[in-house]
Amino acid sequence: MTERIDVLVRRRHREELRFRLLLFVPTIVFLVLMVIFPLVYSVNISFYDYVRGREPRFIGFGNYAQLFRSEQFWLVTWITLRITLTCLAIEMGLGLLLGFALSQKIPGMGFFRLLIFLPMMLAPLVAGLFWRLLLDQTFGLVNFFLERLGFGAVEWLTDPRFAIWGIIITDVWQWTPFVVLLVLAGLGTIPQELQEAAILDRASPWMRFRNIYLPYLRMPILIAVLFRSIDTLKMFDVPYILTGGGPGDLTTTLSLLGYRNLFSFFKVGVASAISWFVVIIVNILVNVLLKVLSPRKKIPREMVDTGL
Amino acid sequence: MREETKSLIRRIVFLVVTLGITLAFMFPLLWVILSSFKTRLEIFVLPPKWIFLPTLQNYKDILHSDFMYQLKNSLLVAAISTGVSLVFGSLTAYGFSRYPIRGSDNILFWILSLRMLPPIAVVIPFYLLFRSLGLLDTNLALVLVYCIFNISFSIWVLKGFFDEIPIELEEAARLDGYSPAQVFWRVSLPLVRPGLATTAIFCLIQSLNEFLVALTLTTRRAVTAPVGLAKLQTFLGTDWGRISAAAVIFMIPVVVFTIFVRNELIRGMSFGRMR
Repeated sequence: MTERIDVLVRRRHREELRFRLLLFVPTIVFLVLMVIFPLVYSVNISFYDYVRGREPRFIGFGNYAQLFRSEQFWLVTWITLRITLTCLAIEMGLGLLLGFALSQKIPGMGFFRLLIFLPMMLAPLVAGLFWRLLLDQTFGLVNFFLERLGFGAVEWLTDPRFAIWGIIITDVWQWTPFVVLLVLAGLGTIPQELQEAAILDRASPWMRFRNIYLPYLRMPILIAVLFRSIDTLKMFDVPYILTGGGPGDLTTTLSLLGYRNLFSFFKVGVASAISWFVVIIVNILVNVLLKVLSPRKKIPREMVDTGL
Repeated sequence: MREETKSLIRRIVFLVVTLGITLAFMFPLLWVILSSFKTRLEIFVLPPKWIFLPTLQNYKDILHSDFMYQLKNSLLVAAISTGVSLVFGSLTAYGFSRYPIRGSDNILFWILSLRMLPPIAVVIPFYLLFRSLGLLDTNLALVLVYCIFNISFSIWVLKGFFDEIPIELEEAARLDGYSPAQVFWRVSLPLVRPGLATTAIFCLIQSLNEFLVALTLTTRRAVTAPVGLAKLQTFLGTDWGRISAAAVIFMIPVVVFTIFVRNELIRGMSFGRMR
């Protein structure tokens, strides 16, 4: 009798183990094969003088040394950072304002919100196309309105001073809604009584923001900042379609530079080195992100309601 | 009375502000939709024509162009990679939710970092790899690469949904004699059906919208809609009517999907970290 139970228990145990393996092994194997292997391969390439059509030659850190000596590379890095920081500042500011405006309870608000959120669901490439049409120097609507208002037309896509703003406008249009979404979610977690109490207490708007809204908005703001900076650092689609990286290299991002090295100049090694530079920058940010999102972290009291 | 008037005025101000903001954000969309119904000449007319006789010519041109084939590629690749990712994703998400292994957190973070990986870094090795395997310009190549991003996304979002299932339900099923696999298949998975739908739609949208990977790994047969759109732009120069029509057709599935997940946008966009 006990022997039979023993067999049953052991069989059950085996079944359970098999199930657990099924849960993890296929996914991990797939991801390791599909990610580790290519990435190792790509690190390896970045150490070779590899131009398509020629025999690769090992040059150690040669590609990196070449990059770090090149003015173009630092210009492009600076431009990528400039786009990232400018977009971030505008999107956060505008997103917070719009978030507060849209948090009011008005009939039909759900519909308005849905419309506002649409841009971030579109392909960045499509957003770039939209703004290419709107920012066109001769028949674009933006210039038409600017002229009407007496400002004079701007060569948005070709003027060295303004081309970068074409990129920024597109990104701000597409991603401010993302910040709004997060802000709204944060505001939605504030208990009604807390807001009412503040109004009854006649707390000043600043005090209300500091002591009531800010604690609930800290996590959404952090998430927004990190997601947006990571995505903007990787930006490719918008400059590709809007300006092609020009005039000169003034709207070229690191991803676009990597792409051009691979497909226009066939410099595989250099392209890999650039892509690794992006990976390292993004990785630093991702690590910050992971710290913030850590599920096991001690959760501050006021964060409990955001579900984190 | 005065308080009421004040509150009414405030409401109206907010309504106007909201309407204004919404209009400002919708404007580019509206303009492209309008442009798609204009003739080549009308698009260049300034001041812009707001009222005109709409033409369907742009749509007819697009429906008979390669763009429809590219859109089909896009939908096919998106659907297959989404399906595969949901299978892998739901298994592993359930695993992380119910049977955390040693170092679970670190593995989860590694998986999230994949979603953040710059596509340019992925594209270079895969371009070389697929070229030597003869997989360049195939739907399979795109499916494989999109699976990396979609699986990692699915695991994160679905884990949140599995975490919400009360563990007592599963324990009750175990007491009824269900094996762990049966609990997963018959109890837990049906309970996260809304989560599966949400995850699927976000994977679909993200795959449809992807550009850099598709641009590098395809040339002709497997070209997807965004790449096709970008090519329309270069080849036809300034035929904005057709480009607008193609963009509108391409937007339709995305907009429909967005309407479906409108209440779960926050979860999808923050990897299930906010809800």
